[in-house]
Amino acid sequence: MGIRSVKFTIDSNLENIPLIGMSVNKLCSSASFSNVDSFNIELCVVEAITNSIKHACCGESGHEITVAFTLTQEDVMLDICDDGACPMNPERLDKAVIKHPGDDVIDIEGIAEGGRGLGIMKEIMDSVTYRSKEGENCLTLIKKLPVK
Amino acid sequence: MEIREERINDVEVLKLEGRLDASSAKDIKEKVASLTKENLVIDMEGIDFIDSSGLGSLVSSLRSVNKLGGDIKISALQDQVRAIFELTRLHRIFGIYDDSDAAAMSF
Repeated sequence: MGIRSVKFTIDSNLENIPLIGMSVNKLCSSASFSNVDSFNIELCVVEAITNSIKHACCGESGHEITVAFTLTQEDVMLDICDDGACPMNPERLDKAVIKHPGDDVIDIEGIAEGGRGLGIMKEIMDSVTYRSKEGENCLTLIKKLPVK
Repeated sequence: MEIREERINDVEVLKLEGRLDASSAKDIKEKVASLTKENLVIDMEGIDFIDSSGLGSLVSSLRSVNKLGGDIKISALQDQVRAIFELTRLHRIFGIYDDSDAAAMSF
């Protein structure tokens, strides 16, 4: 089997995200990922696209978001790209972890409402990398195929 | 995402259906902010997808209800949704029950 790839394109509107999420989930199932892994990969793609829209594109519609799904013999690669004017500081990816509630006393006021997306991606995927060049910002997620 | 209101034992129950994500997160926050009851059950049997925005909306809703001296219980999480609660350790801040009856009776 060679490398197979498909690319999705949406306008930077949050309402469009499920179209890609559900498609990625189905493609992952077809690539022999379990239901759990397919859901988790869908979640990572949704988180990445949401970040593109809310942050890189400053919440504005009218920008193009592309998601390339590439299947090799070893892994699946998802490349989420935007042309937003506010690219992410790569340090945010380096430092991202899931902020957990305190282990002893749980202070609801101290629990962050947001900021978990990058940490979730790093926890689930085998590789998360970011590049921004010549007006294009891309987050690349890689997950190894399940062992047969 | 659809939100239906019910009542069990005088406890407000919000039954959610669909995806709780960045586009629907504000809907649940606004609905919770509009309620005047202190205790609330959010039934998630119909939620087949949640992301960090959805989780954040539940945290924000819990803060609103706490300010009234009340609490939010979550019920009927689908397995993959429960897994994300556990991944983010947010299952530790919500009481989670198998169904909305059990959640309502726990108050």
